[in-house]
Amino acid sequence: EDTADDDNYEFGKGDFTEHACRYCGVSNPACVVRCNVPSCRKWFCNSRGNTSGSHIVNHLVRAKHKEVCLHKDSPLGETILECYNCGCRNVFLLGFISAKTESVVVLLCREPCLSVNALKDMNWDLSQWCPLIDDRCFLQWLVKVPSEQEQLRARQISAQQINKIEELWKSNPDASLEDLEKPGVDDEPQAVALKYEDAYQYQNVFAPLIKLEADYDKMMKESQSKDNVTIRWDIGLNKKRIAYFIFPKEDNELRLVPGDELRLRYSGDAAHPAWQSVGHVIKLTAQEEVALELRASQGAPVDVNHGFSVDFVWKSTSFDRMQGAMKTFAVDETSVSGYIYHHLLGHEVEVQMVRNTLPRRFGAPGLPELNASQVFAVKSVLQKPISLIQGPPGTGKTVTSAAIVYHMAKQGQGQVLVCAPSNVAVDQLAEKISATGLKVVRICAKSREAVSSPVEHLTLHYQVRHLDTSEKSELHKLQQLKDEQGELSSSDEKKYKALKRATEREISQSADVICCTCVGAGDPRLANFRFRQVLIDESTQATEPECLIPLVLGAKQVVLVGDHCQLGPVIMCKKAARAGLAQSLFERLVLLGVKPIRLQVQYRMHPSLSEFPSNSFYEGTLQNGVTVNERQSTGIDFPWPVPHHPMFFYVQMGQEEISASGTSYLNRTEAANVEKIVTTFLRSGVVPGQIGVITPYEGQRAYIVNYMSRNGALRQQLYKEIEVASVDSFQGREKDYIILSCVRSNEHQGIGFLNDPRRLNVALTRARYGIVILGNPKVLSKQPLWNSLLTHYKEHECLVEGPLNNLKQSMVQFQKPKKIYN
Amino acid sequence: DDEDDDRGGGGPASAEEDEVHVRQKVPEVDPVEEANFEEELRAVMQESMEQRRQELRGRPSLNMMIPMNVFEGSAKDHGRGAMGGESGDEGQDEEGGVSKEVPVKVLVKRGNKQQTKQMFIPWDCSLVQSTKQKEAAELEE
Ligand SMILES: [Zn+2]
Ligand SMILES: [Zn+2]
Ligand SMILES: [Zn+2]
Repeated sequence: EDTADDDNYEFGKGDFTEHACRYCGVSNPACVVRCNVPSCRKWFCNSRGNTSGSHIVNHLVRAKHKEVCLHKDSPLGETILECYNCGCRNVFLLGFISAKTESVVVLLCREPCLSVNALKDMNWDLSQWCPLIDDRCFLQWLVKVPSEQEQLRARQISAQQINKIEELWKSNPDASLEDLEKPGVDDEPQAVALKYEDAYQYQNVFAPLIKLEADYDKMMKESQSKDNVTIRWDIGLNKKRIAYFIFPKEDNELRLVPGDELRLRYSGDAAHPAWQSVGHVIKLTAQEEVALELRASQGAPVDVNHGFSVDFVWKSTSFDRMQGAMKTFAVDETSVSGYIYHHLLGHEVEVQMVRNTLPRRFGAPGLPELNASQVFAVKSVLQKPISLIQGPPGTGKTVTSAAIVYHMAKQGQGQVLVCAPSNVAVDQLAEKISATGLKVVRICAKSREAVSSPVEHLTLHYQVRHLDTSEKSELHKLQQLKDEQGELSSSDEKKYKALKRATEREISQSADVICCTCVGAGDPRLANFRFRQVLIDESTQATEPECLIPLVLGAKQVVLVGDHCQLGPVIMCKKAARAGLAQSLFERLVLLGVKPIRLQVQYRMHPSLSEFPSNSFYEGTLQNGVTVNERQSTGIDFPWPVPHHPMFFYVQMGQEEISASGTSYLNRTEAANVEKIVTTFLRSGVVPGQIGVITPYEGQRAYIVNYMSRNGALRQQLYKEIEVASVDSFQGREKDYIILSCVRSNEHQGIGFLNDPRRLNVALTRARYGIVILGNPKVLSKQPLWNSLLTHYKEHECLVEGPLNNLKQSMVQFQKPKKIYN
Repeated sequence: DDEDDDRGGGGPASAEEDEVHVRQKVPEVDPVEEANFEEELRAVMQESMEQRRQELRGRPSLNMMIPMNVFEGSAKDHGRGAMGGESGDEGQDEEGGVSKEVPVKVLVKRGNKQQTKQMFIPWDCSLVQSTKQKEAAELEE
C-alpha cells in the first residue's frame, strides 16, 4: 500500500546503541567495555552509580566472567585486554607495567609473567605493576568513568537490582531490567508517580498504561463492525471513489473522526464477486453520515447500494509513537536538555534562566494588542526553560501562544515546533501564527490529507502540490499522471516518491514554524529534525507520553499551555485511568511546584456568566474584558427572568431513564423543554448557528436530535443546523447561547459525569450571551459544587420553574451537600 | 558557580550549553551489599590465581621482546612535557583544574603484529614514575 509508509515505521528496532551499559544505559564508547564471554557479550560501563564497584566490575564479579573487549571507537580501538606476553585474558590478573626509560606501557599478567625472571634483564620496570582493576573499577584512563551529567541521566540501578538481573541472566541471557518488574496479567498496573528516579523508571510506569489503553482501544474499535449498511456512491475531485453511509454511534464509546480507517466489505451475489477495500473517513456530517474515500476502487460494486459491512481498522501508530518517545527520552541524551530531563522527572534542579535578549514589545504583527497578563506571560515564558500557561475560557490562549512562538522564532535558535493533541487546535494556532508573517508549515497525517482544513494553504501536502518552480515540474507531471490514472508504473512511482520526499524536506526545512499534532510530531518525515523550542497547546488534554513525542526532538525550552481546571485527556481503559494515565504532564508539573502563569482577562462571557466560574474555579481572579453592553443582544426578545442576568436554571422534575443501548441516560421532559427553549430562541431572532445544546450523555444527545427533528414547532431544517453535543466535545469552543441539559434525576444514584467539577466548568463557560440550565435541583444539590451553583442562581433570582412564557422563581428545597467531590 | 552564570549572556544559547545543576542525594552504598561484594570479588581473584597456577605448571618460561620501533618513535614525543595541554579534553578533570596528564604509548598485539596507541595517563599514576624520574634527571643536567 502506497500511503502506508507511516505504518511500517517502527521504533526501537535498531535505532538504539547495542553497546549501552546493560545496567544503566550509558553508551559513551570511551566508557564501556564488552564482556567477552561468548554466551554473554553484554556491554557495561565503568561508573559505580549507587554501588560499591563499577558496573563492569559488578558484572564480572557477579557473573564470574573474566574477559573484556574495548569498544571500537574507544582510544585503543576494538581490543581484547590480554597479557602482552602470554595472552592471558583474565582481567583480574592483568595490570600495566611501563618501560624503564620510555613512556611505553604494556599489559602483563600477574601470574606468571610478572614473576618471570627473563624480564628482569629487559627494559621493563616491574616494581610498578598497576592492576587493571583498581578500587573495584577499571583504570579510569583506559576506560573512562562517565561524566557526572551522563551518570545523572542514566538509569539509577541499585545493587539489589543488579543481583536480581544477574540471577535472571543465568536462565535468560536476553532478559532486560524491565522483565524484573513485569506485573502479572491480572495485577493492577503500577500507578503514576510525582517523581521518577530516571527515565527508565518513568518508562516502566507509563509503558504498561499505554499498552492497556491501546489494547482496550483496539478491542473496542474492532468490535464495532456494522452489517447491512447502505451505501451512496460518489466520486471525489481527486477522482477517488467515495462511499457515503450512516454509521450510527452507540453512546459514548466510539467517536469516529476524520482520518480514521474503515474497511468496506461486500460479500458478493450472483452478479458481483466478493469485494473489500479500506478507506479513510474524510468527512462526518451532523446527521452521522460518513464519507469514506476508498484507497482502491477497482472492482467496487458501485451499482449495488445495500448489504455492505463496515469494520474499523485499528492502527497502533499513535501508541507506538508514545512508546517510542519514552524510549528515546531514556536512551538518547540529546532527546531533551539536561535541565528539562531532570525537571520532567521531578528532580530538584537549580533554577535556570534562558538568556535571550527580550523584545521591546511583546505583541506580534497581525495579532490583537496583548493585555497585561498576556504580556506578562509572553515575557516570562521567553526567559524560562519550562513554563506553564493556564488559559481559562476565553482568555486568548491562542493569541498569547502565537505571540510567544513569534518571538521564539525571531531568536534564531532554529525552527519552533508547535503542537496540540487535537487537529482543530493545531489548525487554529497555525492560522494565528501565520498571521504574524512567520513561515508556517502544517504537517498532517497522511490519512488526513483528504480531510478539508481551514489552513489548507499551510499544509505540507498542499505546498508540495503547489510549489511552483521549474525543477518541480517533474514532480507535478508525475502527480498529474497519478491523479489521472490512479497509479504509476513502478519506476515512475519510485521517482515520484523520491521527488516528493525531497520536496517535502525542502519545504519543511525552510519554515520558521512547524505545526502538527503531538502524535504527528512522531511522523517519520520529522525524524531528522531538531527543535529546541516547543510549544504545546491544550497540553492538559494530552497524556504524558503523548506530550513527550514533540519534546524528545531536542527540546531545551518548553511551553505548555492549557487549563487543568477544564477537562483532561480521555482515557477509555478504566484500569489505566485509575492508575493515573489521565493526569497530564501540565498537572504533574503543577504538583511539582511549577506555578502556572494565568491569563486573567476573559473576552467571551457576559459578566454575569463569568462570575460563578471565576469564583469557583479560578479563585475569583478572572476579570471581564467584555462589558455588559457588548454582550447585550439587541433585538432578541427572549424571556430571561432577570433581563440583566441572561441566565437561568430551569427546574426539571422529570425522571431519567436508561437509554435503549443500556449504557447511557436520557430524560424526556428535559428534551421536550430543550426543544421549547430552542424554538423560543429561534422565534426571538437568534439563528441556529448561535445556539449550542450541551449534555453529558450520548443517550440524551441522540434523543434531543431526534426529538427536535420530529417535534420541532418550526421548519425541520432549522433544528438540523443546531449543534447538539457532549460537554467534552464542546471544550475549546463557544456559542452565543448554550442550553445545558443535565439529565440525571434519581432518588438514590449519583450524578455520574456531572460529578467532575472540570466538566461543569467547561459546560458553564461556552456561552457568550446567555445560558439556560435544565436539571433537577433536588438531585444536583447533593453535590457541593452544584449546590453552590444552585445557590448562586437562586440568589440572583434565576432559579425558575413553570412554562417558558411565565417563569416563576422556584421554591424547591436543596439537599445538604455530601462530602467534597464524590 | 560564577563561571557558569557568565556564559552565553545576551546572544542565543549555544547548542552545547546544556548545564544543569541537580541537587542529588549522595549515593549511599548499602554496607551489607558492600561486604558481600567484597567477599565475592576476593573469591574471584583467588580462583583466578589458583586456576592460573594449575594451568601453567610445567610450561616453559617466557620471553618478552619489545619491538625497537616503539622506542624510536617515542623519543620526539616525550619532549612535549607532562602537561597534557592541547589534549586536555581527554581528561575528566575532577577538581575543575587543568588536568595533568602524561602521554604514553600503550603497546598491544593485533594478532602477531605489535601496535602502539598514544593515551594519556594521570600525572600521579604510579606507572609514570619512571618518566617523571627521567625528566627530573634531564632537568638537573
Ligand atoms: Zn558477562
Ligand atoms: Zn553502567
Ligand atoms: Zn602473562
